[in-house]
Amino acid sequence: MFNGIAGGGAEDLPQLQSTMRAIELACSYIQINTNPAAAEATILSLHQSPQPYKACRFILENSQVASARFQAAAAIKEAAIREWSFLSTEDKGGLISFCLGYVIQHANSSDAYVFSKVSSVAAQLMKRGWLEFTPAEKEVFFYQINQAILGSRGLDVQFIGIHFLESLVSEFSPSTSSAMSLPREFHENCRKSLEQNYLKTFYSWAQDAALSVTNKIVESNSDVPEVKVCNAALRLMHQILNWEFRYSKGGTKGSINVFSDGMRSDTASSRKTECVIVQPGASWCDVLLSSSHVGWLINLYSSLRQKFAFEGYWLDCPVAVSARKLIVQLCSLAGEVFPSNNAQMREQHLLLLLSGVLPWIDPPDVISKEIEEGRSGSEMIDGCRALLSIATVTTAVDFDRLLRSIRPFGTLTLLSLLMGEVVKVLLANSNDKETWSYEARDILLDTWTTLLASMDGSGGNAWLPPEGMHAAASLFSLIAESELKLASASATTDEDDADCLASVSAMDERLGSYALIARAAVDATVPFLTKLFSDRVARLHQGRGTVDPTETLEEVYSLLLIIGHVLADEGEGETALVPDALQTHFVDVVEAGNHPVVLLSSSIVKFAEQCLDANMRSSIFSPRLMEAVIWFLARWSFTYLMLVEDCNLGSNQLQSLPSRACLFTFFNEHNQGKFVLDIIVRISLTSLMSYPGEKDLQELTCHQLLHALVRRRNICFHLLSLDSWRNLANAFANDKSLFLLNGVSQRSLAQTLVLSAYGMRSSDASNQYVKDLMAHMTSSLVDLANNSDLKNLAQQPDIIMLVSCVLERLRGAASATEPRTQRAIYEMGLSVMNPVLRLLEVYKHESAVIYLLLKFVVDWVDGQISYLEAHETAGVVNFCMSLLQIYSSHNIGKISLSLSSTLLNEAKTEKYKDLRALLQLLSHLCSKDMVDFSSDSIETQSTNISQVVFFGLHIITPLITLELLKYPKLCFDYFSLISHMLEVYPETLAQLNSDAFNHVLTTVDFGLHQQDVDIVTMCLRALKALASYHYKETKAGNTGLGSHASGQTDPNGVFHEGILSRFLRKLLQFLLFEDYSTDLVSTAADALFPLILCEPNLYQGLGNELIEKQGW
Amino acid sequence: MSDEEHHFESSDAGASKTYPQQAGNIRKGGHIVIKGRPCKVVEVSTSKTGKHGHAKCHFVAIDIFTAKKLEDIVPSSHNCDVPHVNRIDYQLIDISENGFVSLLTDSGGTKDDLKLPTDDNLSALMKSGFEEGKDVVVSVMSSMGEEQICAVKEVGGGK
Repeated sequence: MFNGIAGGGAEDLPQLQSTMRAIELACSYIQINTNPAAAEATILSLHQSPQPYKACRFILENSQVASARFQAAAAIKEAAIREWSFLSTEDKGGLISFCLGYVIQHANSSDAYVFSKVSSVAAQLMKRGWLEFTPAEKEVFFYQINQAILGSRGLDVQFIGIHFLESLVSEFSPSTSSAMSLPREFHENCRKSLEQNYLKTFYSWAQDAALSVTNKIVESNSDVPEVKVCNAALRLMHQILNWEFRYSKGGTKGSINVFSDGMRSDTASSRKTECVIVQPGASWCDVLLSSSHVGWLINLYSSLRQKFAFEGYWLDCPVAVSARKLIVQLCSLAGEVFPSNNAQMREQHLLLLLSGVLPWIDPPDVISKEIEEGRSGSEMIDGCRALLSIATVTTAVDFDRLLRSIRPFGTLTLLSLLMGEVVKVLLANSNDKETWSYEARDILLDTWTTLLASMDGSGGNAWLPPEGMHAAASLFSLIAESELKLASASATTDEDDADCLASVSAMDERLGSYALIARAAVDATVPFLTKLFSDRVARLHQGRGTVDPTETLEEVYSLLLIIGHVLADEGEGETALVPDALQTHFVDVVEAGNHPVVLLSSSIVKFAEQCLDANMRSSIFSPRLMEAVIWFLARWSFTYLMLVEDCNLGSNQLQSLPSRACLFTFFNEHNQGKFVLDIIVRISLTSLMSYPGEKDLQELTCHQLLHALVRRRNICFHLLSLDSWRNLANAFANDKSLFLLNGVSQRSLAQTLVLSAYGMRSSDASNQYVKDLMAHMTSSLVDLANNSDLKNLAQQPDIIMLVSCVLERLRGAASATEPRTQRAIYEMGLSVMNPVLRLLEVYKHESAVIYLLLKFVVDWVDGQISYLEAHETAGVVNFCMSLLQIYSSHNIGKISLSLSSTLLNEAKTEKYKDLRALLQLLSHLCSKDMVDFSSDSIETQSTNISQVVFFGLHIITPLITLELLKYPKLCFDYFSLISHMLEVYPETLAQLNSDAFNHVLTTVDFGLHQQDVDIVTMCLRALKALASYHYKETKAGNTGLGSHASGQTDPNGVFHEGILSRFLRKLLQFLLFEDYSTDLVSTAADALFPLILCEPNLYQGLGNELIEKQGW
Repeated sequence: MSDEEHHFESSDAGASKTYPQQAGNIRKGGHIVIKGRPCKVVEVSTSKTGKHGHAKCHFVAIDIFTAKKLEDIVPSSHNCDVPHVNRIDYQLIDISENGFVSLLTDSGGTKDDLKLPTDDNLSALMKSGFEEGKDVVVSVMSSMGEEQICAVKEVGGGK
């Protein structure tokens, strides 16, 4: 449409005007939403027309319609980026200077968005040409900019100049750059060049510009236009300091690693508030530090503060916000910018900033009162951010010292007072979620975490100064009291409350930070917590039966969570050490009975023990409180109970401390350990038996507490000698009430009990233990399966439930297979093989039971297969194949009908889960070839696993419809199995009959067209394996894939192309004409190569065909 | 042995239409009686009655015959009624003009009191399968005195 413009020359004024009118019209149509599609097409055709520059310039210079000018600028950018390599050097430079000139000339007119657009176009074009322009050429542009920024041409031009640099810097910064369809190296080189040669210059230009207007601002009492320039300059400085400096290390980095994503290693992981450390390198020292830049900024802001009462200024006016941002940012300045021989400079710098920030936050009570009375909280929050930034770049001791030179107390005291104030306000407004105090609390908490986390892991040698400890202690008591108040206030609110685990994990981060504060002053906080706890417990006892305990219960609940965090860390499966602070403090304690940690732990265990009493249970131990008790016991016992000296020890130098020794030995096996363990087991049994239907509590007991206990080998020995543990095992085997646990807990309990067999002294004893434990379950399944009236009986709900429970337990036991108990579990599975098949038959309509059956077999095979001898393997394999066949015969061709679409969907999901389990079963069988502990020598005639698995696949693949493959997990499992099979056993595939062979390859073909990169990768790997196999075999004179590869003529005389040719064609088609992720390129090449080797002629043919098609 | 714990003798199959089961144990995919109707549970959620109260289960279930959605809230330690849902496979031997099907029972008799399913596709499938002489097996679900065809399967045969 606009093609004629380029060639037309200057004389077609009418044509330029008509283009302009067309665009203007289109823009106004879009605005009033009339025929937007046509209007968009018009604009698009301008963007896409070759060399539209003249028309665009004409529009920019003459059009009265702002959006038309905007579109013209956008068109220039798009066309220039597209046609860049065809443009002459003059054209390139000309476009940039046109844009620059345009913004400078029109600096004082309105329509800011047009100017931002034009200046960002200039920035983008400048970046595009950055590596080809000579320094002299760039100098011309920058001279122009510098002149503008110096202010000789007026404030508007000054502003435009700064604004342009802002666009330019953001264009060069990788995270904000726009795409140019160029390699990453290009962007990386631009960034390097800018960082090394220009960034600092820009910063000092911004400084100069800001300085030039400072006096005007400071002197005037009302809003002056200079403020706009100052604000822009501050913003530019902030942006430049935000740059991810990489080349500051003396430029020693030889090459650019474009694939490293430039993640900063120093960003702490769990923080809520972002705090980026600014490390611009040594060369920035003069600009940032020695030029009294910080002093100027602090003065500027403090004079702004005095103007907040005047018109045009307020606490959140843009210039104040920008100034505060920059101040906060300078607080986190670190690295080589401070000369290494001048430690004082750093302290001076931080002190200067801190003294500037101080009026924002000090005195805390006055300020928080002002904010509650309606002042904006943003300045105070920025003050907190500044503290966080300072904390990020200093140690706790240095941090504390900073304030001492100007105040009678340390920074930690200020931090404690400030946070105490915030916590008070928070407590007062606890209903309102969106207050400043929430944000301030989080930032301050991060500050504490930052300061204390480094000390916590330091081996306990770093202590806070006494005053700092005092500050931490008083803050912690405030926090704890306020948490308790919150808890008791929330006791009666019946909000939709999640279970204990969820609420713990939601509060975890916060509690973790509180715990760090508490650990910074354990001498005070541990006794304090003990007192709080005994107070609450006493209150519960006093009011028993007369007062509604709910509020106190909720307080005890929170207290247990807090104490759990203070005393122990989350082990996450690893051994959790006793926190350093608790090991190293309390030096004067010599007797375990006086150790504060022992006292606190014992008081909680004693309290928990009371739940064994039925009366206490009904009056005090609500399910929710029990959840907290169980959670606490799990966490506590993992850190303190029966420690094995050398693995729960921190650093060795502390060993000699007597206080530490008594803490460690008190709960060990020779002392109170066994007694406490017994209590814990009895509490667990109570929570399982006496809280019917409390699913969360039972899961917590099984998963968190009991399971964690048996994971520790030395504890298993003691468990087995306890009467209480025998009672638990007995109840599990014989007592009906444990059948009322839900399925997951049943499974976990079975697993736990089987794992505890490790504690038996010999392998035989362990096996016998497991046998006794499970004999009841297996015999009940056998009995049921042999019952003559099974068919009717099986459908009864109580029998269904019984069977489900038993299957869950068998599955739990199977998943606990260990070398020591493998025999017993093998025999357990063996004895139920026939019942399982029988049940598979009778429960064919009861999908829930079927799923449990399959999962049991899957886990059992997984645990056993690698240990089995050849004849056992054969038996298991036959069993699995019968299982597959029976399952398949029930389900193939079956169509369920239901009036409810929900139920139909459910049925589909059930099917999917079943099939996934079956695929897992096959994968587990596969692993026999990889890991085999059996005693058979290799020569023994053993089952050919690959054939078995292919046979299994053959049975179940008809059930896997394309519809079902849309479930990503099923799809993934299926293709990982297929690709594994083809890679490891291509020869077995070759032996398959042509139906089976084709079926497998049809699914591979299907997989190639999936969206998921992983799936396609697996299919490509399968293809590669197949083609390589064929190539190698044929080279060696064998048949390889034989007729599958060579193609065959069917009875009707139609020739069917060989499989490899087909895939070569498909793969080339895919690679050349389809959209795919670049991650696939290398795998695809790996697959293509052997395919080409197998079918060189076809490849040549295809290549020629392609060239002919392209030859126009 | 476990005689006293598990009684497998079917005392009188079908005599009791429902069985009691603890609410906390009824899972998604299981059955439950709500408002006198046999249902399949599609959603279970638990909550507490007040912070320190006991758990209760919230069931969303679908009537297995009418596909109506029903809901119920039960303390999780209480018992719920669970319907006895029986499913029996029969071979299809005839489809009569008036839409009734004739099914072959295990004992060799016929069962003639069921209609073709209301779903047109499926009844068409049954008819065509039947007319082509394939072996068609239908599953009949029965619970609390009601019956319905719930699944169809072609076992092959026919040409």
